Amino acid sequence: MTVPTLSAAGRRSVWRRQFLLQGCWNFEGMQNVGFAYAILPALREFYAGRPEEALKAVKRHLEFFNTQPAMGTVILGAAVRLEERVAAGEADPRAIGTFKVGLMGSLGAIGDAFFWGALRPTASAAGAILALLHPLAGIVALLALYNANHLLVRFRGFSAGMQGQEGAVAWLKAAGLSGKTEDRKLAAAVLGGAYAGAYAGRHAVLGGDVFLAILLFVLGVVMVRLFTALFRKGVSPSEILGVLLVVGVLILWD
Amino acid sequence: MAFRFALAALLGSLCYLDRTAAFQLMLHRPLVVATLMGAVFGNFAAGAQVGAVLELLYIARLPVGASVPPDDTGAAIFAGAAAAVASSSIGLDGGSFTALLLFTFPFAELGRIADRHVRKVNGRVAHLTAEAVDRGDLRAVEHGLLAGLTLFALSGALLALAFSGVGVAVAKLLLPRFGPGSRLEFSALLPALPLLGAASVYSCSRTERTSALFFLTMGAVFAATVFFRWAA
Repeated sequence: MTVPTLSAAGRRSVWRRQFLLQGCWNFEGMQNVGFAYAILPALREFYAGRPEEALKAVKRHLEFFNTQPAMGTVILGAAVRLEERVAAGEADPRAIGTFKVGLMGSLGAIGDAFFWGALRPTASAAGAILALLHPLAGIVALLALYNANHLLVRFRGFSAGMQGQEGAVAWLKAAGLSGKTEDRKLAAAVLGGAYAGAYAGRHAVLGGDVFLAILLFVLGVVMVRLFTALFRKGVSPSEILGVLLVVGVLILWD
Repeated sequence: MAFRFALAALLGSLCYLDRTAAFQLMLHRPLVVATLMGAVFGNFAAGAQVGAVLELLYIARLPVGASVPPDDTGAAIFAGAAAAVASSSIGLDGGSFTALLLFTFPFAELGRIADRHVRKVNGRVAHLTAEAVDRGDLRAVEHGLLAGLTLFALSGALLALAFSGVGVAVAKLLLPRFGPGSRLEFSALLPALPLLGAASVYSCSRTERTSALFFLTMGAVFAATVFFRWAA
């Protein structure tokens, strides 16, 4: 059976819709509705004149799906290619579910570590430091640093996925996201340290005494260590802020 | 003032959409949101000042799997609006600045609860979508997604309206009740807050290699800040 390849307009439509992957995020199917919505223009083209098969295809994509949203583009692109083959009778429809389930966990883990664990802290720390100089400089730095990587991964990931499963896997290997995660973590550590040093230094200046400044620095290091240990114990920042608020009220009470 | 609240609700709604449902371009980050709210309520620099500290406070809580992190967007809406109003009435001194940052945590938790509720309602939307597709209605997928987006946007607008309203009330009614002496005493807690943010970054980026680097940089920047300030 000959099936029309995805038109340029259809491809653009799928690309635009991938930004709404989490539009109907829910605890049962997570990104399922978003995924079905994103792939729908391609399904309409592949199954034109075959409404029953189109329905079956949509139902396939309404099954549970969850991954890091930017990394989801790789799976989306590859799923479009697979659907094209299924519509042409060259592949088993079950292969799509197997492929999605097989990849979403590992891509989620890679994406979470890269985007949430490394890139976002780097961009946020850079933004917070530059905001000390000028608020707009901070905002521009935060948005530019994050989105330069984020949009590139979305674009290249989708293009690689559109080359099929092999293209997706080859891109994932070539992208070297694990190495980049380490680099971003180094940058985040430097920027986070600079942020802590800048703020602690600002308060130490007010004392006007070298020994007091050294004491304040040591206290700063101890506090960072203490807060980090509390985070590791599962204490949330809200709880720490709550305790500090109580301490503040006690200071006022006294 | 009504126009300012309407604008806050509109911008808040867009920022909340960016948080989960659409794009994830980081327009929902506290630095951006608090600056925007500061601009809406008359002093964008005051908003940015609290946003720069709030930006890192919750960054260690990751939106992984089914976990919903504290709502730092809501915290920034409250703090940005309050900082802008407080800076024009009593001036944003260290004590008020500290108090506003400490007051943010109930909003971060309330926002998280609201977010969980929206996601639960979305579960019902997804269920109805699947039923409609079973009946042969393909467009139900588009309607389902639109319903989900609308829920996220509406909830964001309502939260932004409520949080900015409380922020303005706190800045106008609560903070002026404390005298300059009390606010000065409260500011003793201020150095702890950026360090809490730095600890969040440290715990995100912590590996064997980065640990030493973090504290070396902290020491170098601390020494440079103290030296240049004293020299100046």
